[in-house]
Amino acid sequence: MTRANYHRLGWLWFAVLTLCTLWLGWMLRQGLPADTDLTALLPADRQAPLVERADRELGRGFENRFLLLLGDDDRVATTQALGKSLQTLVDEGQLAAIDWRELDLADADPHGWMGPWRYRLLTPQWQQTLDDGDGRTLVEPALRRLFSPTARPDPVADPFGLLDVWLSRLPQSPIGAADGLLTLDTGDQPDGRQWSVLIGELKGSPYDLPMQNALHSTLAQFQQQHPEAELLRSGLVFHAAAGARQAKHEMSTIGAASLLGVLLIIAFVFRSPRVLLQLMVPLLAGSLFALTLTLGLFGRLHLLTLAFGASLIGIAIDYVLHLQCDRAIAGRGFRLRRLLPSLVLGLISSVIAYVAQALTPMPGLRQMAAFAAFGLIGAWLTVVLWLPRFTLHASPFTDRLATRWWRLCQPRWQLPPWLALIGAIALVIVCAVRLTSDDSLELLNPSPAALMQDEQRVQQLLDRDTGSRYFLVQAENTQALLARLDALDAELDRAIADGLQIEYQSLAGSVPTMAEQQANLARVGKLYGAPLDDLVQRAGLPAEVARKARAQLGKSPPLTLDDWLGTPLGKLQQRLWLGRTPEGGVAATVVISGARGAAPDKVLRDLAGAQAGVEYVDRVERIGALLGELRRHTAVWVLAAMTLMTLALIGRYRRHAWRVIVPPFGATLIVLASFALAGVPLNIFNQLGLLLVLGIGLDAGIFNVEHARKPSAWLAITLSTLTSLLAFGMLAFSATPALHYLGLTCLIGLASVWMLVPWVRPVDPNRTQRQEIEHE
Amino acid sequence: MPLRRWLITLLVLVLVPISAQAFDLDDLQRQLAATPSVAGRFEQQRELADLDSSLTSTGTFVFERGKRVVWELKTPVQERIELTPQAITDGSGETAPPGGEQVAQLFLQLLEGDWQALESRFTLQLSGDQDAWQVALRPKEAALRERIAGITLQGDRTIDHLDMRTPDGDRLKVRLFDQHPLNGA
Repeated sequence: MTRANYHRLGWLWFAVLTLCTLWLGWMLRQGLPADTDLTALLPADRQAPLVERADRELGRGFENRFLLLLGDDDRVATTQALGKSLQTLVDEGQLAAIDWRELDLADADPHGWMGPWRYRLLTPQWQQTLDDGDGRTLVEPALRRLFSPTARPDPVADPFGLLDVWLSRLPQSPIGAADGLLTLDTGDQPDGRQWSVLIGELKGSPYDLPMQNALHSTLAQFQQQHPEAELLRSGLVFHAAAGARQAKHEMSTIGAASLLGVLLIIAFVFRSPRVLLQLMVPLLAGSLFALTLTLGLFGRLHLLTLAFGASLIGIAIDYVLHLQCDRAIAGRGFRLRRLLPSLVLGLISSVIAYVAQALTPMPGLRQMAAFAAFGLIGAWLTVVLWLPRFTLHASPFTDRLATRWWRLCQPRWQLPPWLALIGAIALVIVCAVRLTSDDSLELLNPSPAALMQDEQRVQQLLDRDTGSRYFLVQAENTQALLARLDALDAELDRAIADGLQIEYQSLAGSVPTMAEQQANLARVGKLYGAPLDDLVQRAGLPAEVARKARAQLGKSPPLTLDDWLGTPLGKLQQRLWLGRTPEGGVAATVVISGARGAAPDKVLRDLAGAQAGVEYVDRVERIGALLGELRRHTAVWVLAAMTLMTLALIGRYRRHAWRVIVPPFGATLIVLASFALAGVPLNIFNQLGLLLVLGIGLDAGIFNVEHARKPSAWLAITLSTLTSLLAFGMLAFSATPALHYLGLTCLIGLASVWMLVPWVRPVDPNRTQRQEIEHE
Repeated sequence: MPLRRWLITLLVLVLVPISAQAFDLDDLQRQLAATPSVAGRFEQQRELADLDSSLTSTGTFVFERGKRVVWELKTPVQERIELTPQAITDGSGETAPPGGEQVAQLFLQLLEGDWQALESRFTLQLSGDQDAWQVALRPKEAALRERIAGITLQGDRTIDHLDMRTPDGDRLKVRLFDQHPLNGA
């Protein structure tokens, strides 16, 4: 290639990147189209849009609201103090609302808006009584009710108190009123007390930082002023805020430390700030190239892709360091041609791994692989086409350092292939026997333990659920759906009677089917015969009362699902209603709370299996299963890529190929064996870390063999493992589990790569040759 | 000493009305608390505005301050209702429908003259003296005004009359009579 051609290619690459910038700018004109939903990583036929919708509906309360429980000896005063300071957040526009006074939740009287429907709503017990023709037995209780000092009798509209009986069957909120405050009274429990309840409603996203800060400082200030008060928190906003604070904290400790470390090392080795800048250019160019092409190809980007893709581009730092080390030492004698074969091989081997991944049927992995591959190609092109043209003076210090370092790290003996094989087999056995995997979401929960404890206590005290377990019920139309729900409820009631300790919320308990409503109306008609006359007479009321009461029955409209969802009580159940499905039917959920575990789970699953149109969903388990599927798919395809690479490497290096593959594969085995011995289970995150280890290890192996006698290569390998260790390995100290596992893998893996490299370096045919090398 | 006598007269004149006026809600509460447990008879009359008739019942009651009220209907129907701050329980042991405990609480607070608790929801106005007093209660919040227009309590050593009016014109009148303190209850 002529010099002019090379220059032309450099400019061409510049033009490509400029186009990328323009294209990216156009695509981002409305913000980054990012997915956060894990199932978006799955193939389309495996996604369940209805389950997603149910998850969103049920999760909304947990996302958009928060709940505080406040316990204190001087409860009224402290609650008022907290309530008022939270009210200022509402006034400032940070929160939408805060309810804590007794009347904040007082809905209009149900007797007002449920009135006309009451003759169509009967409890099963009353249905039975009336079907048995025992209507007369209801007269006595009705009389007592009419004369009770605390009842509000209405002899015309409801002489028998139908509505009260029906309402008392609806799920009751444990939140009551006392001392003018919303109160949860746990006095009937062993160490019970009166808790004040404060319910906040968010204006926007729970991830809104200014709102999080305002809420956090208000609560912190309150706790400082009232250290004796016990405050329990529940709601996504607190978890999100804890996560944000943790990320910020780690950014300023772990992040700052690793950045400082990388800067110090580069400055020390190259003695030039320019190298640092030149280090950044390929990484930035690679990211730009990857982001543009991936977005252009897929239309959307998953946040997980962005996070891991960006770290995988970190492998590109290898190319920069090898080139720069060579240039710093060789100075004017630098020839790209000499380095090019190993650079090309390094790129191809890494890209093969990602191309293999891109062939998987999982769009998530495909996206991640495409991002990483494009990023590496972009960074590589920048290194090869641009870096040699940036000025870099030869540094005698770097030269001396490389030679001294090279001599220092000469191993006394060589690792024989048979020993490597035995070691590998031993490690494989360790892994096979002891390595476990755990894809459960709990393992990855980043929330602090104290907050999780609060959350559990609040949910337990309030019988509140986050809607993580439910039945998804579908049918062709609303009436069929209500019938199905009713049948499911009957099964659940039977299971509960048999000892299953759960509770459930279902729309069928509130809205009977039309047929049943009609039957109920007929039953009430019977009740309004002789029993009503009896009641009126014994109460000493004029006979016209009975006539007026009967006239009401004819005016009773049917209660439709829409009617119900529009009432204040129905609004509380709106989350259970999913409406039209894409298939043209309708769907609703039945939310389960209470006992967890394998046994109750099996009962619920069997219940769902026995009925048509009913599906049991456990969100936590579902997401865990998704993560597990991603992990297994990655493992299989990485294994395939490794085999392919090994074949390619054998093609080039023949019997020396094992020297190239020992650093990447050996490091992978060491990581897995350490996990096996330490009992760290495998999950998607430490497995993605292995991809990074493999990439850097493979580059190290290739350069180690290609430039076996060059101190600059060993210096570059050292620098690249060290900087990657600082950038990714330090994440092992993160308190966020996902980052911790990624970091731990990199920490062990990259250290192993670096330690393995010298032992597998091709032997110098002649020991004296070393002198020559130094003066090459 | 005319001056001295005049001074005493003046003091008495000034002080007597003060002490008379000083019969406030705290005094009333103390006065009522002096009889911790009372038993007696009641007559309850519920006037229903849109019916032009009323539901009248009679019976006996036992009131244990701070603990419970037992309301025993004799006519026209037999029923024993027990009100505690937590719940209303009727003869069959069933608890009342939602919101029942709030009604029970209010009823207890009224019978006890627990002004501190009542003041969070009502404005209170006391008139009369310790031998014939009357307290008028008006709901503070609009939500409560939709249910209760006003309540009047009358009495002397004990509460003798309770009169609760709702916005739709219904009226609950309770007369407590033949009251006698219970000892060792």
